[in-house]
Amino acid sequence: METSFALTGKGYVIVAADTTAARSIVKMKDDQDKIKELGSHLLMAYSGEPGPSNAYIIMPTQPTDPLLSFYSGDTIQFAEYVERNIRLYQIRHLYPLRPSAAASWIRRSLAVSLRSRNAFTVNLLIGGYDLADHKPTLYWIDYLGTVVEVPFAAHGYGSYFALSLLDRYHNPDATLEEGLATLKRCINEVSKRLVVSPDRYKVKVVDKDGVREVEL
Amino acid sequence: MARRYDSRTTIFSPEGRLYQIEYAMEAISHAGTVLGVLAKDGVVLAAEKRVTGKLLDLSSAKEGGGGYGGSGEKMFLINSNVIGGVAGITSDANSLVNYARSVAQRYLLQYNQDIPVEQLAQRLCDMKQGYTQYGGLRPFGVSILYAGYDPHYRFQLYHSDPSGNYSGWKATCIGANNGTAQSLLKQEYKDDMSIDDAIKLVLKVMSRTMDSTTLGSEKLEIAVLTYDEAAKKPKAKIYKPIEIDGLLLMHEMSKKIEEAMKA
Amino acid sequence: MSRSYDRALTVFSPDGHLFQVEYALEAVRKGTCAVGVRGKDVVILGVEKKSVLQLQDPRTVRKVVMLDDHICLAFAGLTADGRVLIDKARMECQSHRLTVEDPVTVEYITRHIAGIQQKYTQSGGVRPFGISTLIVGFDPHDTRPRLYQTEPSGIYSAWKANAIGRSSKTVREFLEKNHKDDMTREESIKLTVKSLLEVVQTGAKNIEISVMEGYGKITNLELSEIEAIVSEIEREKEAEAERKRTRLAATAARQAAMATRADAGQPSGQ
Repeated sequence: METSFALTGKGYVIVAADTTAARSIVKMKDDQDKIKELGSHLLMAYSGEPGPSNAYIIMPTQPTDPLLSFYSGDTIQFAEYVERNIRLYQIRHLYPLRPSAAASWIRRSLAVSLRSRNAFTVNLLIGGYDLADHKPTLYWIDYLGTVVEVPFAAHGYGSYFALSLLDRYHNPDATLEEGLATLKRCINEVSKRLVVSPDRYKVKVVDKDGVREVEL
Repeated sequence: MARRYDSRTTIFSPEGRLYQIEYAMEAISHAGTVLGVLAKDGVVLAAEKRVTGKLLDLSSAKEGGGGYGGSGEKMFLINSNVIGGVAGITSDANSLVNYARSVAQRYLLQYNQDIPVEQLAQRLCDMKQGYTQYGGLRPFGVSILYAGYDPHYRFQLYHSDPSGNYSGWKATCIGANNGTAQSLLKQEYKDDMSIDDAIKLVLKVMSRTMDSTTLGSEKLEIAVLTYDEAAKKPKAKIYKPIEIDGLLLMHEMSKKIEEAMKA
Repeated sequence: MSRSYDRALTVFSPDGHLFQVEYALEAVRKGTCAVGVRGKDVVILGVEKKSVLQLQDPRTVRKVVMLDDHICLAFAGLTADGRVLIDKARMECQSHRLTVEDPVTVEYITRHIAGIQQKYTQSGGVRPFGISTLIVGFDPHDTRPRLYQTEPSGIYSAWKANAIGRSSKTVREFLEKNHKDDMTREESIKLTVKSLLEVVQTGAKNIEISVMEGYGKITNLELSEIEAIVSEIEREKEAEAERKRTRLAATAARQAAMATRADAGQPSGQ
């Protein structure tokens, strides 16, 4: 089951997401990167809401089957759309969108999509470092077009186990090591308790020097 | 021969010129002067109002037209971080200002953030450019000075003209007598001036370029953009006539004191 | 007359000219000069930069722009037209990445830009774009530098070296004389600067050089670097002139010597 976490610390944001690519009950592979680097200082973890059609296991018979859009292809479609638009902004104006502005734009895109015939069912965590006021920021966005700035966040089934831990152990002034330790607690808890827990995660960090991947 | 090429707006002349744009710029050079000066802690705009008749009812101007201050003729609050000063055909200016305000609000809606000043200037210029390329339209007969603030480049001053070009300035001038004003600015402008120095400079230049001998609120508009440190946001202020008179009085007094000190 | 707005503004003249397109080229010829030079594995864009007025902010004067990570463009002609066309091209670069997951090739984006320019020579009620462009870059997974040119007519073409804008003919002739295949980075930069100096009298401060050395690797030369190159070129020119002078003097001396020898020899010979 898809799970993603993110937490802020002293001058950084950690974003982590599982790497499982699944289709209904079948695991296709376990090295998919679900965290897009939207800019030099902006990360976006994306995961698909198990949409209405996932409740029953329907295999689309034709590639043009409209149901296709309810599967996780949705998330990638949306993530790439966001990626390209944010890149376009930077090329046009020579400076990148600030994380807060990016989150607002993404939220709006989802809200517009929600009111169309084929809404994207995507949940997002946006972690960024704002170069204008030198602050790490994290936004939690869901497929209904909600955006909240939060100190820590999670999506997916893992969130039921992790949020209480994050509530207990999160410290806005924690060093990166401490932050990663908190993240490990969450991951361990999910492995221990969740029936079908993902076994691998990708972890990325953004701070004043930009984005980078870290090994747990 | 020239008539063949200047009757329709969107046509190149054999020398590769667009006459309609040049004529539009000519129209602006007769309009009331607008002056902009960039200081380290703010931007000042000043404009000359052309009073068209003695019976013109300026009572609404006294109240600060449109609720923003100013007579609603030369100075406009475009967004909470940008003030515009216009020179040219007033009706064209009104529709451009309206467009600029919508652009700024759309940006706010999309990004939940004030529009960066250069982007606003750019969007208006894209529109102005369109009017020089598409058939059946004449160019806008308006030049605009944009005084604004954004976190990317802090205080900024831009100028856009009917061709759809824009550029950034430390101090510049549009409208009548802009040559005189420009050279005066060149002489007197200093880097890292404070906003008070900038206001002083603006008044000095205006008093030299305006036709009338004494400056007064009936012919002058002033707007200032600064940053409110307490509220952490830019503060735009378009002076009301009474405030302008007050400012002029103070300016006059300080000049007299200076002279007295020298003597 | 009421329908005049939807008529094509660019129509054939009886002798088969599209005058509006030709006049648009005149607008290009009025623009500042831009030069593109292709080396062995480098491509250079050099532009003539108008002096910024004392109170103007140099940041807002941009002649070389980035279309995508791997493509740069310089234009000559009407600045406002340039900005609008560039914006369309930038959008296409990202849109292309979104639809086929690959960055555009240099030829693709050139063709796209030229296509837009062509449309504005034929559609109803529009005038052509008053700009020519030079487009440089590297294709993805390729090490060969590319240089293309587009014109108001919508023609596009690939070049080893070319110039657009003011006095571009002089510069092009200079390039034709001096361009060699497989030039190194330094040679290419020098040729670009040298060719620009043909039209830019004021030297380094009015020259801007962008160097592209591979996919996504773009550097803009600092003023001091350009100054160094300009002074080197000047030194070479002086040395060349000096050599010419000494050679001239030598030939003159030789001729004089021959003349005296002839004078001396003549009586004895007779």
